[in-house]
Amino acid sequence: MGAHTHNEEVRKPKVKKESAKNHIVAFIASLVLTALAFVAVAYEVVPSGFTVPFIVGLAFVQALFQLFFWMHMDQKGHEFARISIFAGLFFVLAAVIVFVFWVWV
Amino acid sequence: MATHHVHAVLPDEPEKATLEGKNKILGFWLFLGGETVLFGSLFATFIALRDQTNGGPSSQQLFDMPLVAIATLLLLTSSLTSVFAVLAMHKKNLKQVQAWLTVTVLLGLGFLGLEIYEFMHYYHEGHKISSSAFGSAFYTLVGFHGGHVLFGILWIVTLQLAAVKKGLTVVTAPKFYVASLYWHFIDVVWVFIFTVVYLMGMIGGKVG
Repeated sequence: MGAHTHNEEVRKPKVKKESAKNHIVAFIASLVLTALAFVAVAYEVVPSGFTVPFIVGLAFVQALFQLFFWMHMDQKGHEFARISIFAGLFFVLAAVIVFVFWVWV
Repeated sequence: MATHHVHAVLPDEPEKATLEGKNKILGFWLFLGGETVLFGSLFATFIALRDQTNGGPSSQQLFDMPLVAIATLLLLTSSLTSVFAVLAMHKKNLKQVQAWLTVTVLLGLGFLGLEIYEFMHYYHEGHKISSSAFGSAFYTLVGFHGGHVLFGILWIVTLQLAAVKKGLTVVTAPKFYVASLYWHFIDVVWVFIFTVVYLMGMIGGKVG
């Protein structure tokens, strides 16, 4: 790992040129995923019973796009960011699962 | 790092050029992890209580799809413009940073205006924070998100005003960067709100 990164740093400038392209890709992906979710609910094109898992799945994909591109989690030096967000997500899923299956109301 | 050292030439990625800047970003991610758990607990509560309408209007009767779609579009676009502000910052172009942040703030205000209109409309329909468990869970979750939007707007505007005097330095750059992270996070949370609260709440009802 050490030798490899060292060589790259010698050849390239320290900071890679960041283009707007990735961010526009993330934007278009978000638009498409959002539109799919709205259409799935509005026109009931997805078999009923599967609509909820379908749109929640789309939401997670969109969230990952935004976290990795817009919030730069794809760039190096973001190990802590990943630990932080995914640890948070773990507790969220635990809470949601508990509340969905074990709440007495 | 105690002195307010302004570089004559701004380094690449000025937000990470100082230890203070790096620590700010690191600490902010820890905060976002905590925010994730906070919103997660509100989501869990909402999911558990969303059918307990106590005789009041249900989500299928209340929610209006075009309104939610417009709000979503506004916030999504504002997230893109705030990342453009960070790109402009990397080009060391403060004018562009200010311009993109102004667009971001305006879109955020549009979102907030829609939300206030929406809440007032629901209130007149009898959907209140005290009317049912559904109402309490709804206004706590969505209102808390709206509060974040309001805070984000105030935060960005104060940074913009401060930058007029201070310019773009290794001290102000981490602040812009972190505020932009916060704004993106608000949009990520909204993705789950429009999915879990609005779209899941409209399933089974006739959509208008």
